[in-house]
Amino acid sequence: MDSSKDSTFVSLVSCDGFEYILPYETACVSGTIRRMLDPTSNFAESRSGRCVLEEIDGVVLEQVCKYLVYNYRAKNMTNVPDMDVPAELCLELVMAADYLDV
Amino acid sequence: MTSSPRSSQNISAAQIRDDYERRVDEAARQAREEEEQAQDEDYQEEVAEPEPEPESPEQEARKRKREQAIEKLKNSKEFSRRKKNRRLGDENDDELADEMLKEKNQPVPGQLAHCEICGKRFTVTAYSKTGPLGGLLCPDCSKKHTGKDKKDEPKKRGMGINRRQNQSKILDGVVQLGARSLMEMCIKKIAENIDDVEGFGDLPPPVMRRLSQILSRNRAITPVILDLFLKPYARHLDIFDCAKLETKDFHKILATMQSLTRLDLRFVTQMKDDVFEYMIDREMKIQELHLDAPSLVTSACWQKVFASLGPHLKSLKLWNLEAGFDDETFEAVSKNCANLQRLKLKHLGHIGDQTMEAISTLKHLEHLSLHLSQELSPEPLLQIIAQLGSQLGSLSLEEFESADDRLVQHIHDHCRELFKLRISHNALITDKAMAGLFRGWSNPALRFVDFSSLRDVDMDNHAGPEEPVGLASNGFVALMAHSGRDITTLNVSSCRHITHAALEEVFAPDKQYPHLISLDVSLNERIDDFITHSIFRCCPALKKLVVFGCFKIRDIKIPRGVAVIGTVGAKLTSDGVAQQELVLS
Repeated sequence: MDSSKDSTFVSLVSCDGFEYILPYETACVSGTIRRMLDPTSNFAESRSGRCVLEEIDGVVLEQVCKYLVYNYRAKNMTNVPDMDVPAELCLELVMAADYLDV
Repeated sequence: MTSSPRSSQNISAAQIRDDYERRVDEAARQAREEEEQAQDEDYQEEVAEPEPEPESPEQEARKRKREQAIEKLKNSKEFSRRKKNRRLGDENDDELADEMLKEKNQPVPGQLAHCEICGKRFTVTAYSKTGPLGGLLCPDCSKKHTGKDKKDEPKKRGMGINRRQNQSKILDGVVQLGARSLMEMCIKKIAENIDDVEGFGDLPPPVMRRLSQILSRNRAITPVILDLFLKPYARHLDIFDCAKLETKDFHKILATMQSLTRLDLRFVTQMKDDVFEYMIDREMKIQELHLDAPSLVTSACWQKVFASLGPHLKSLKLWNLEAGFDDETFEAVSKNCANLQRLKLKHLGHIGDQTMEAISTLKHLEHLSLHLSQELSPEPLLQIIAQLGSQLGSLSLEEFESADDRLVQHIHDHCRELFKLRISHNALITDKAMAGLFRGWSNPALRFVDFSSLRDVDMDNHAGPEEPVGLASNGFVALMAHSGRDITTLNVSSCRHITHAALEEVFAPDKQYPHLISLDVSLNERIDDFITHSIFRCCPALKKLVVFGCFKIRDIKIPRGVAVIGTVGAKLTSDGVAQQELVLS
């Protein structure tokens, strides 16, 4: 990834190879991703701007990305309505949320 | 012998020839008939054109049927409605009837039809649209066609939720900035759809606990739902509402979860002796036993339980027990469970001073919480503080009406490690003693303080005696001077002898309480707009301010993220936007 891009966009990769590209600040809503991308941490992810999440599959990661965007938009707002989460994914999403610290 | 080769000679040549001729004839006739039939069909197709000459009786019948259908249509409501809509004269009746008949004869879903616009063959579905000429359209053309006359989309709900929900959240003390966490949203959703869940899998224990809380609040924990929580290797089980569970379900809990160390069950009315006997038989090493209302368990059984758990027991919390638990039973606790660190006894009607004396022998006790409504003499309590005070981290004493200044003095003298202190509902402790508690106290700053309802009760003398009783000005100033830097939760509701001057002094411009999150100053008539704004200024972390019965609050500006509960007839402004009141006058 070239240096002009790496601070603005990062990509999240699911275990089955789906790749989601998000603005850096949006992805950092997740504590785990923020720590992965922290420039001082010197993880491979912080250099490449690419986080491979081995535990999360594409369908779940899509919902996670939706949530990250939703959360980032709702920052500093009061009375935010809940995001609609598909019921059948909830159990997997809880595991993902636990892992990603969101 | 019997069948000889000559038997074939019995077949006559004549018969063979006859058979052959018959078969040929038959085939020829069949072919002829088929041809005729095909011709017939062709002919019929020809005559089915718009203006047929009714020749065969069949044709006539068909025409009669059609006429009947048209007649029927003309009499129908739908027909008159359409006619009215189009404002047609009678001469156009036939045209309209034809049109409607054609519509009626359209292919039903599942059949094939040709698109009216592009001529493509497609399968008719319930969603196929009618074209401009009355025929059906293929899916592609349907989409294009409906684009024009699409209704306005229903109004999209904005980023605000309805007012009622919002108010209910504020009453719960929740005014949150930004979105809820994904975890919390998913847990809520799972709780909503709990009947569809087959198993929780490997959910982390805090999630299980939260789910149990929500489901218990919805009173949704049935024996079926309970099964989801039973995991053989889990160490903790918290079910906050067991009202729907029966004795056999408690057996199941103990049978399934063998490595259980914390058993936390509330409303366990149906728990009986044999459940505990089973636990004793299995020699389960329960370390934390928290039970609400196991009132069918007998005293003898309790004694056996404590004898069996013995030194393993680290935490015992019991609520709402009557005859089954008395002084004698508690003696079994103090004798056997020497390692008890945490003890909470609430609303145990049959224990008295003897139990209080026994508590002081628990050498490792660090957390003590007592709420006993019966009359108790103050001395055993003093003995507890004297014996255990130096190691207590939290002390909660509710409704000890006989406790007096000596109790506060003992806390001052003995307690060194307290971070949580609750003394509530008492009208004997004086302000002087309260102030004395915090002056020169070698205990570090408290984090949780509840002195609610420490006040004088005398209907004839509203202002109280000359020498203030309860937590009044001096005590409050001393408390905040001692603990202000670390305090997170403060409840001084109903401490109505705290003066305006004292409040001004505590919430002066140069004072800061950086960690104070929740503050309850209800029922103090001196709290006014000025004091409220001073509170907001001094407590930057404040999330919840409870002001029931503070009638001098008339017009306040609420900072972002703070929930103010209990104003009456006041004008509330938050972020420059006027807020509706919660309790309407």
